[in-house]
Parts: sequence; C-alpha cells; structure tokens
Amino acid sequence: MLHVITMKYTVQRTLFPAIAILFMGTFAETASAHDPVFGLGPHTLFKGGVEIHAGAHQEESGEGSETESELQLKYGLSGDWVAGIGVPYVRGNDDDSERGPTNFSTKYRFWRHDSFGTQESMAVLGKVILDDGDSHRGTEPDGNDYLIGLTYGYEGRKWYRWASVRHRINAEATTGLERPNVWLVDLAGGIRFSPTEYHEPDWVWMLELNGELIEHLSRGTGDTGKQLGGEQWFLSPGLMWTYRNFAFKAGVQLPIIKNLSADQPSSDYRALIELEWHL
Amino acid sequence: MKQSLIAVILSTVALIANATDRRYELRVDGLACPYCAYGIEKKIKALDGVDMTSVEVKLNDGLVIFQADTPEPFTEISLKTLINDAGFTLRQFQVQALKPENE
Repeated sequence: MLHVITMKYTVQRTLFPAIAILFMGTFAETASAHDPVFGLGPHTLFKGGVEIHAGAHQEESGEGSETESELQLKYGLSGDWVAGIGVPYVRGNDDDSERGPTNFSTKYRFWRHDSFGTQESMAVLGKVILDDGDSHRGTEPDGNDYLIGLTYGYEGRKWYRWASVRHRINAEATTGLERPNVWLVDLAGGIRFSPTEYHEPDWVWMLELNGELIEHLSRGTGDTGKQLGGEQWFLSPGLMWTYRNFAFKAGVQLPIIKNLSADQPSSDYRALIELEWHL
Repeated sequence: MKQSLIAVILSTVALIANATDRRYELRVDGLACPYCAYGIEKKIKALDGVDMTSVEVKLNDGLVIFQADTPEPFTEISLKTLINDAGFTLRQFQVQALKPENE
C-alpha cells in the first residue's frame, strides 16, 4: 500500500499536529521537472504551458505517522516564470483525512546560461500558505505562512547539481502557540548514465543532502514548557523517470544527523512519490 | 463564365505556388533533458504550416529540425523568441527550401 507522507514531526499525539503543520505545503514545492526530489531547483515551465502535479508524502516518527497528498496546477507565464496553486490533503494516525491549507507559489528564473547540452540557472521562489485548512486540534495557524527560496542548478547530458536555501516563516497558532520558523538547506547531485534521445524513457539518479534548521523556542507549547528547535540532516537517494511530457519522481529521506532540543520530535524516515504532466 | 472559371483556377494555382516547403534546422543551447524539450515540440507544432510528423528533437546534437509549408519563411527572430519562450537559447538558424520557390 502506498503510504503518503507529510513533512510533519510526531512524537506525542498532542504534539504531532502542532509540529506537523510547520511544514505543510513545503514539500510540494520541490517537485518540478529535473529538479531534486526533496530540494528546490530552478526549473520553470515553457510559456503557456500547464503542469499537473500529483504528489504523495509520508513521514514516520516514532509511533506517529502522517500522510500528505497534494494536487498542484502550474502555468508558465513566460519561459522563465511559473505560478501555481496547490491543495493538500492530510491523514494522520487516526486515519481522519483533512484538507490542508491552500498554497500559492511563484518561481522566477532570473539567470540562465545555455550552452551545448547544458543549462545553468538560478531562480527565486515565493510561496504563501493560507490558513484555510481544516482544524488540527487547535493548532491551526492564525494567519498565513510564507516561504521564500533561492536556488541554483546545473543540468547536463550526464551530470546534475543543485543547491538551494529556503526560509519558512510560520504564523502563530490560533491558541497563541508559537510555531518556529525553519531554514531548509539542500545540496543535490544527479547522474544520467545513458544520454537518451527525446522519444526515449529517461532516468536520472539523484542523491541529496537535506538540512532542516528549526528555530529554538523555549516557551514551547502552552503549559507544557517544551523545548523545541534544532537541526536534522538527511541523506536522500531518489530518481526521476521521464518520457516526453510525463515525469515520475520518487525518493526517501534517511536521517543521518540529529541535533534537536529535548522535546523536538525527530523523523525516522520520509518518502515521496510524485507524478507530473506537462500540457 | 469561362473567364470566371479561368480566374478561379489561376488564383488557386497562384495560392498554391506561393507556399513553399522548407526545412528548418535550429541549433539550440540548453537542451540537456528530454522532459524539458517538450515545450519546444509543442510550440513548433503550434505554428501554422508545420508538418507535425517532421518535428525532430536531437538532444545529443543539440538540434531541432522541422519542415513547414508557408508563403513566407519563419524569421530567425520569431524562432529565437519561440525557443526562448520554451526556456532555451537559439544559437544557429538554417532554412532550406525543399521545392523551387516560385516567383
């Protein structure tokens, strides 16, 4: 059975939803064309193009697990500028499915250098995650969350490399609970073993180093006085398979370094599968 | 009646004669992956007069080739814009008439 994963932390049932929504809507931004599976890449969409994106993410953390699936639509405003809208759905331990917050995103590729068989580029990303999702047991945001990012990518007939940094600014919860901000740092490399032609299935294998730096909060969650924050690093193998205008991406994040505050849940693993069509 | 018929026939012949079948060869930079090249294929096929079955994207050579039957050839500027809108850079442009152009 395919488990869908959300980028949420769960150690205690009461804590899981609160931590979980720190990252809701962040995962979906990663998947676009030949970009890393978990990190952010500079790819946009051809002018007038439409992208339909369906993704599924799952995270396991101790006894908790959560699944997030998302449908995204993107439109190419120009050859270097894309805008999109996404709606996620979330299912937690209790198997209740809830609609997650709607998000609007845009990515602008402000620098591009094309040469024979290679493309290097840089892009900026902006995203707003609305507070219109279903209730999360009192931890729903009281305001919009925001995500900004900067990314670099090199794409060749054989080798790929990417680097990105994102900053997520989270609103407080309706209960007054503070939701820590997060920095996401990603390095990725990829390889295409066989230089395929246009009407051939294409495989790119990737390995990423993903870091999450969570703001330290000493006030924690309400009366419990928990200590949150810290950093986690993941090693993430993944692959992207494409054929003409269809793409399939899959990957798994395995934690390799954990330096978290006492009450900050850590992840056992995360997995992602995504499908993408260009029309 | 006879003169009208001749005029119609001559007009039709002139119309056909003005369209010329041409082969275009574009050298495109940035063509690294098949998935990314779809935008080029789609935009070229949207041009009037393009022979859909002739569109080729040769990634290993960095070439995009197609044939089109149009009264006037596509200009380099228009194709440069098309390639840029697809997210790439037109490096070189060649066009070759496949049939003798009629004066």
